[in-house]
Amino acid sequence: MKASKIYSMWFIVPAATIFSVFFLVPVLISLFFSMTIWNFDSFRFVGFDNFVLFFSERSLAISMKNTVIYAFLSSGLKVVLAFFIAIFLTSRIKSKNFIRSLVFFPNLVSTIAIGMVFKSLLHPTKGFVNTVLGTVGIEGISWLGNPDLALYSVILTDVWKGVSIATVIYIAGIVSIDQTFYEAAAIDGANEWSKLKNITIPLVRPAMNTVILLSLIGGLRSFDLIWAMTGGGPGFASDVLASTIYKQYAAGFYGLSTAGNVIMLVLIGVIAFPLRKLLLQKEMD
Amino acid sequence: MDKRCIVHSESIAQMLLFMNNKDDGGIKEMKKLLVMILTIVMVTSLFVGCGSKTEEPTAAKPAKTEAAKEEATKGETEKTEAKEEMAGLPFEGVELTIMMDQNTVAEGVEAVAAIAKEQLGLDVSMDRSVGGSEGDNLTKTRLASGDMTDLFVYNSGSLLGALNPSEYLLDISGEPFMAKIADSFKGTVAIDGAEYGIPLNTIMAGGIMYNKAVYRDLGLEVPTTWDEFLANCEVIKASGTSAVIGTYGDAWTSQVTFLGDNYNVLAENPNFATEFEAGTAKFATSPAGVKSFQKLIDIEPFLNLDYAVATFDEGVDMLATGEGAHWPMLSFVMANVSDLYPEAVEDIGVFGIPGDNPDDQGLTIWMPNALYVNKDSENIDAVKAFFELYLSTEGLDAYTAAVPPTGAYVVEGYALPGDTMSIVKDDMQAYIDSGKTAPALEYMTAVKGPNCPAITQEVGSGQTTALEAAAAYDADCLKQAIQLGLDW
Repeated sequence: MKASKIYSMWFIVPAATIFSVFFLVPVLISLFFSMTIWNFDSFRFVGFDNFVLFFSERSLAISMKNTVIYAFLSSGLKVVLAFFIAIFLTSRIKSKNFIRSLVFFPNLVSTIAIGMVFKSLLHPTKGFVNTVLGTVGIEGISWLGNPDLALYSVILTDVWKGVSIATVIYIAGIVSIDQTFYEAAAIDGANEWSKLKNITIPLVRPAMNTVILLSLIGGLRSFDLIWAMTGGGPGFASDVLASTIYKQYAAGFYGLSTAGNVIMLVLIGVIAFPLRKLLLQKEMD
Repeated sequence: MDKRCIVHSESIAQMLLFMNNKDDGGIKEMKKLLVMILTIVMVTSLFVGCGSKTEEPTAAKPAKTEAAKEEATKGETEKTEAKEEMAGLPFEGVELTIMMDQNTVAEGVEAVAAIAKEQLGLDVSMDRSVGGSEGDNLTKTRLASGDMTDLFVYNSGSLLGALNPSEYLLDISGEPFMAKIADSFKGTVAIDGAEYGIPLNTIMAGGIMYNKAVYRDLGLEVPTTWDEFLANCEVIKASGTSAVIGTYGDAWTSQVTFLGDNYNVLAENPNFATEFEAGTAKFATSPAGVKSFQKLIDIEPFLNLDYAVATFDEGVDMLATGEGAHWPMLSFVMANVSDLYPEAVEDIGVFGIPGDNPDDQGLTIWMPNALYVNKDSENIDAVKAFFELYLSTEGLDAYTAAVPPTGAYVVEGYALPGDTMSIVKDDMQAYIDSGKTAPALEYMTAVKGPNCPAITQEVGSGQTTALEAAAAYDADCLKQAIQLGLDW
């Protein structure tokens, strides 16, 4: 018995080494440097000043609010839209495979490329979107220049990209539902809507939970799309936590930037872990 | 690995799935052949497509081969191609690279580089990077990672401090060519007694560039107070032209209205800079300081429709063609105008951002950016020879011939040629001669908040009040002061 115990411990060592060197140690080092003022050569210990600064400065408080809005809104839209697109793509249509590839295409393109293309599409005077809207009489909306609209324009672009992978996950979930459920319901005289509500939605729960968690965590961390489209502007209107952290880093405030990263870690942990527990519980029922 | 590889696998998989739906026996052989062909195509394209490096300005390897050929710089490609031996030249075969942002016109440096090739055998190539805060970040990162070119261009003044110059830059204070440079400039590239850079070009004015043709057509006069300026804007707006050009798509341009108002801030309180450095004076508590931010709000109704996303290049077009009448901007833009719209150069003038006193309208002056030397460069002697040439009369003449001066040079004893554009000779010189100039704040104090462009962009697009913006900028400067170790 003892021999097998030693045997299994040694197998963990390679993975554990990689895990601690690339994950644990950096996290611990970050926790330390987040409490200093640091310029790569020397550091000065300041305790929690960096964190206090992060919460008290107005531009940073805006970014926290924007991050939460961004994550929940984009996640919500992806969950709902992807579900209906997936239902459509699992029904009996001929060009199913072709449309599935088409829907998946946005996920293959670089986010920065999407950001740059949409930035020019959403230009208030020369962009394609406004030209089309102009023909039906809606004039001159400044999608990325209007501080109230900028964040939502970026969210919509993110949904356009993210709905692709969410759809694929949903399709996998729907296809795995046993057909006998539908046959039994048909015999009992259920119509399409009733089948959807009582069979599909409950049984696609695992896929839905995956989509919710992935898109929420992705939304909380999102950076490249916002940076490519607005750079956090105009002013600070579309700044999120990740872009704020980047700006602190670019200004040379390495300690402050690390503190921001620690805050992001805590925020994601506080939202993701309980949510996961809640969703898993619902799944069990 | 590239995302294109995944597309290949995806489409191959689709094709195989499709083919699997038919279970005709005779097709099996064709299928095998097809699968083999497609696999070979996929694998070869992996090596061809995925193997090539994408062009990145942050490429770790020296950019001289890639970037120099990418940029359509006129003399450059011929120079790198010409490998003929020049007998007896002191630095033949030596290659120098200079990192410079894309917004700055490069023809001047290239003209000097051409002379360097003839006289010294030096091959000087340019590595063009993005501008703005991204370029800033790139410079700092490349210095910190030991990956910088021999020379690079960066701001002088307080912003130099952020680069940690004693660590990464060569001290050139004792060199003979430094004696030619005016003390006022040397003070902006010196920290703790060590001097690090030579001036790249001329001083620039930060004021309101205006299109003289529009003024002529509408019968307007150069305003001497801020209210007169706004009245002019009303007239211009009524005539259908954009009264003020806004290019907040490039956030750094929104700062000029605020920073260029320094003359008026100093006019109210001449000790503002020293008090600000000590932490006692704040923008929020000084009326002229708040007014500087208020001016951004005042011009908002007169901006072009797409001001929030318009870029610097679009601003140049608008100013030169007369689509926009005023543009708060630094005068270095005249180099871009003379490059793209040479016939419009004489139509553009500048006046200092007016204050409330019609008798005291002054111009805020920016020192030129500087050329700094990477301490770890392998060609220090070549660099010093290049600098010697750069500051010699011959070098300056070459620079001036390629890029018309947009201000006075800070090299002592060098006079501007007679055909200098009128904005420099007449408009700017008038302010210099009457003594109504003040340096920008960043040359008087080490503290300039890094969020300045975002704050001015925010107040300029109407999201905050002037007082809020002033308070935000003070908080930002406080943050930087703490990070720099100043005791505020």
